[in-house]
Amino acid sequence: MIGLVWKDMLVMRKTLRAYALFLGFYLILAVMGAFDISIVTAMIQVILLMVPISAFSYDEQAKWNRYVMTFPLGRRAVVGGRYLFSLFTALAASSFGLLVCVFTSLMGRSQLEENLASVLASLGVGLFIVDIMLPLCYKLGPERARPYLYAVVFFPVIALFLAYKLGFQADLSALDRMSAPAVLGLFALVPLAALLGMGISYLVSCRIVADKEF
Amino acid sequence: MTNSIEISGLCKSYGDFALRNVSLTLPGGAIMGLIGENGAGKTTTIKCILNLIRRDAGTITLMGHDNILEERQAKEDVGVVLDECFFHDSLRPRDIGSILAPAYRSWDHALFRDYLDKFKLPERKFIKEFSRGMKMKLSLAAALAHQPRLLILDEATAGLDPVVRDEILDEFLGFIQDEDHSILISSHITSDLEKVADYITYIHRGQVVLSDAKDAILDRYGRLGCTAAQLAEVDPGDLLRVRKGSFGCEGLVADREAFRRNYPELTVDPASLEDIMLLIGKGEAV
Repeated sequence: MIGLVWKDMLVMRKTLRAYALFLGFYLILAVMGAFDISIVTAMIQVILLMVPISAFSYDEQAKWNRYVMTFPLGRRAVVGGRYLFSLFTALAASSFGLLVCVFTSLMGRSQLEENLASVLASLGVGLFIVDIMLPLCYKLGPERARPYLYAVVFFPVIALFLAYKLGFQADLSALDRMSAPAVLGLFALVPLAALLGMGISYLVSCRIVADKEF
Repeated sequence: MTNSIEISGLCKSYGDFALRNVSLTLPGGAIMGLIGENGAGKTTTIKCILNLIRRDAGTITLMGHDNILEERQAKEDVGVVLDECFFHDSLRPRDIGSILAPAYRSWDHALFRDYLDKFKLPERKFIKEFSRGMKMKLSLAAALAHQPRLLILDEATAGLDPVVRDEILDEFLGFIQDEDHSILISSHITSDLEKVADYITYIHRGQVVLSDAKDAILDRYGRLGCTAAQLAEVDPGDLLRVRKGSFGCEGLVADREAFRRNYPELTVDPASLEDIMLLIGKGEAV
């Protein structure tokens, strides 16, 4: 499984390098005060969404899936490799987000707790979308699954917008009354729930791959 | 000695095509050539062996291990080269070693590098810059570097020039020097198989129509060339298949010595694997 994660990293080294450069660029701008931290957290989400799906596309191009199934690994390990790579990407991107939070906070440009909550929420939402997209990629292939990505990303946004327009507004004032660590704890539940969802997503993907012919 | 491959009663249906009751045995220390026209079922058989597709019936063992129930043990000793190179264009040969090493218990980095040197494959060059011959040699190096006991090759030499093919065939012959090693090779290039194979299995329309030692096939089978009038004189039971053309007729004979004794006035030449394929594939039953 480690070899498969390593393969994804090698195949996507150019893409990952480009994302790292982007993040570095935004880090400098955020530290200089030219950008808000929210730009960095948005970038984290984009990376979380795009990298695993791109990995599927590269595999499809090389017809890798037929070859990898000849390895003495079993289908679950092959699926596990892709999930591990997605997790690794999520952790790397989020660690970077945390780094930026600490930097900007130390420089007094923003509040640490607020930034951490933002990174945790980004990580959680990004992982939730990955939880949905990976089984879809296994089922439909990356190209046919891509439109669902837009649906998964935009439907909640449209739904929230419509709800707001229709006068449904969540009362978030309770958050203001909570202590900062408590709020952070609450936000930490988002990625934790997404991680739990990843377990379920993995099992669904294993089931899909078990039924597939290569 | 345990057989490298044992297939018994293998069936797989796709609706418009079906593998029907395919059985074959590849003993250790031997090379078996799998021949047949396009769509005959060679690749489907290989995919069933590798558990890439579900079979409808039958059993398959690799080195004594059931290929589904003991898939990992079975595949640990199998090297696979399929009809294409499946490595991403953005990888380099040295990357392949680091990707495949954790997948195989017996991966040998030094051996992989030796094969790269032997096949003159630059370690740091991107695969997208490789020719087809180089890509297939890289696939072969990757298949051999974990010291397999069985090589499974599906059209691995197709589209390669004779020099590269000869180089690869030499490698097969070297691999088979260990009597514990064996090779199953599917190919349309019957001349290659005549050079290296010990056994031939011919699959036609999803069924095994011939499976025997290559020497026995080449010693026994004959190709009759005659006129339509001469063909009419031959007992239909003495011919397996016939092809009638405007310039003459051809027939496939299962025992050419017996045929010569029965019909001394007719000319029967030794049949090559290609003759056998053509007559079974394009000929008609007598």
